[in-house]
Amino acid sequence: MAQVIEIEAQEYPKLLKEIGSQAPKRLYYKGDWNEVLFEDCLAVVGSRHLTSYGRKITEQLVTEIAASGITIVSGFMYGGDEAAHRAAVRTGGRTIAVMPCGINIIHPAEQKELYNEILKNKGLIISEFGGKFLPANWTYVKRNRIVAGLSKAILIVEAGLNSGSLITAGYAKKYGRKIFAVPGQITSEVSKGTVKLIKEGAEVATEARDILKYYNISLANLRNTGSYAKPSLNIGKEEQEIINQLKREPMEADILARALGISVAKIGTTLSLMQLKGFINQESGKYYVD
Amino acid sequence: MLIKVPSVANLGLETIKVDVEVNLAGRGLPGFEIVGLPDKAVDESKERVRAAISSSGIDFPAKKITINLAPADIPKEGSLYDLPIAVGILSSVLQFSLPEKSLFLGELSLDGSLRHTKGALLMALFAREFGFLNLFVPKDSANEAAAIKGAKVFPVENLIQLSSYFLKRKNIEPVVYKEISDRFLPLAEFDMREVLGQEQAKRAMEIAAAGGHNIIMVGSPGSGKTMLARALPGILPPLNETESLEVTKIYSAAGNIPPGGSLITHRQFRAPHHSASLVGLIGGGARPHPGEISLAHRGVLFLDEFNEFPRQVMEAMRQPLEDGYLTISRSKQRRMYPADFMLVASANPCPCGYLNHPKKNCVCTQHQIRKYQKRISGPILDRIDLHIAIQPVDTTEFSDNQRNSELLESSKVIKQRVVLARQKQEKRFEKESIHSNAQMKNTHIKNYCKLTKDIEELLHRASIKFQLSARSYMKTIKVARTIADLEGAEEITISHMAEALQYKPKIYESV
Repeated sequence: MAQVIEIEAQEYPKLLKEIGSQAPKRLYYKGDWNEVLFEDCLAVVGSRHLTSYGRKITEQLVTEIAASGITIVSGFMYGGDEAAHRAAVRTGGRTIAVMPCGINIIHPAEQKELYNEILKNKGLIISEFGGKFLPANWTYVKRNRIVAGLSKAILIVEAGLNSGSLITAGYAKKYGRKIFAVPGQITSEVSKGTVKLIKEGAEVATEARDILKYYNISLANLRNTGSYAKPSLNIGKEEQEIINQLKREPMEADILARALGISVAKIGTTLSLMQLKGFINQESGKYYVD
Repeated sequence: MLIKVPSVANLGLETIKVDVEVNLAGRGLPGFEIVGLPDKAVDESKERVRAAISSSGIDFPAKKITINLAPADIPKEGSLYDLPIAVGILSSVLQFSLPEKSLFLGELSLDGSLRHTKGALLMALFAREFGFLNLFVPKDSANEAAAIKGAKVFPVENLIQLSSYFLKRKNIEPVVYKEISDRFLPLAEFDMREVLGQEQAKRAMEIAAAGGHNIIMVGSPGSGKTMLARALPGILPPLNETESLEVTKIYSAAGNIPPGGSLITHRQFRAPHHSASLVGLIGGGARPHPGEISLAHRGVLFLDEFNEFPRQVMEAMRQPLEDGYLTISRSKQRRMYPADFMLVASANPCPCGYLNHPKKNCVCTQHQIRKYQKRISGPILDRIDLHIAIQPVDTTEFSDNQRNSELLESSKVIKQRVVLARQKQEKRFEKESIHSNAQMKNTHIKNYCKLTKDIEELLHRASIKFQLSARSYMKTIKVARTIADLEGAEEITISHMAEALQYKPKIYESV
């Protein structure tokens, strides 16, 4: 059952109130309202067309940040938002999903299972719209101001030019929040937005501690990012060469075969076996190393 | 005076004997009537026969002529009865007798010459089965009929020549079958070596051609899907004797054999557009005709822009994809056409086409993409053995050697491997009713694809990791069998199986 918090209420998030006249008059929500959730929020947003690189980085960063007690705020859209929520839920961290539609509908409906997991994990679903209000182009933009307003800082993983993520970044700038951006290949469509932010003065984030420093969280008990590297099992020479190639960038079988001068039939065999051993993964035709 | 001229009727691929009974009555008003359920083409035969006889310098008899096509209750169609009708009338006028055990078929031109007529091969098959000795067919159709050993095939040029033969003034030499191969070679528009990059897709094409597997290519516009498909005919193995006859029968019945043509020895490549109608693609009509899928029998059916085909058309292909034939039932007739084809489909990954494109940005929403991909139903995807994602190739990144098509493998070299692999399969399935690995059913897989413990374990792990359906599991084994055949190996090994896993569903997930 959805509940409501009015702007006059004690529990209304302070940071959100600070945005003044733009602050929503009332917030509908699902889940247990706990003020602790709003203490340290980080907005994590990314392109709807997240690349395998973007997904990997989101998972890496959010897992650590959420594990150290920071609430991950995002917009529940597929792609970057979904990756951020998912990583937070998986690590048992807190997360808040700000919906662009009425509190009583799940949008996008395909992510129902994630929606339930957020609630199960003591997260919150909030929206300024009640009932079964349908999402429209303008509601996404309005939603973004809440995402930015709730958070002390915002992390943009991947964003195209003219994307919703950049709109959220724009709000964050207006409200005086810190902006972190993840660098990517400058030729990638979904890195053009983040590159633009970096040029305009956003801080570069390449590891969790870049962001955690801003929240004054002690780094002592944090795992070193290096620990993410998989312990090397029995790796053959050819397999090692493939891993070396894939560490640079995700590749298709054709390109790998060409780079290593191995027949495509042979490399296909090796790639399948490596996938089964868990050395590499594949997404939309490209192989990558975790 | 009553004369009987034997001919045939082709009902689909089935042939029955038809007696053309010609009666010239001395009494009564002069007239010309055809009975025995003739269709429009048969009925118009009257005018052609009348003009052809006059053009040959013979007076058309001013008698009451009645033609009966017996048995009278089976509908007759087509123009093949022109010759038997004319021969019947001439034999009465010129007083010659017809040789025993003969069959006549042919369409007349108004000048008395004969035109290429469909169904000659079917008639020759019928003649062999029922012991007819002489076949009189148009000259252009003679080689088609002569492909069947048995009866003498007389090439008829015109009515004068034929009358002289029956009056024993001139001789007609029966034709000897002449193989005409190059004319029907489905031209491969490209050689595989012209396709730069796309190594994995080319490899998949080779496997598909060798085992007769269905294949789907998914990739952005301009990535080379159509080019790959158009290069496929160049690496297909030739038809064996039985297959060749099966295919020629369908083409003969459909009237698709060109004048002077004969047995089709090469696998056909059919590429209907996605605006094709259900009947055009599957076959049908009031008197059911074979559709594109039957014309692609033992060959390739290439469906470009697969998602654009109407759902109804796609679903109708499910049964032939499974059984290799199609039964078309109409109220008055039921015809069975074989349709055992290799499906080659190509599709875009999303409505705009640029999903996962390295340079361009996809502008589709998740919902649009899902809706687009769902146009190809799960049951159809499930029947496709090889799934290939095709990325556009940036040839500027190639080294000179990689860009030099002369150094790449040509279709000819690939074809040699394919042919050897197909020979292995034919030997393996000698005692079975199937020809290729793709046609294997579960019992065949059990018998011919022995898997060691290691391989079974690998496949088991893969089916969990990649969430393979039971059918995908079997498909992977079939593909591995073909990969082993291409290598000349008797047993499937781990590496064959691992390579086969490369061709599991990728972008379009099967349900």
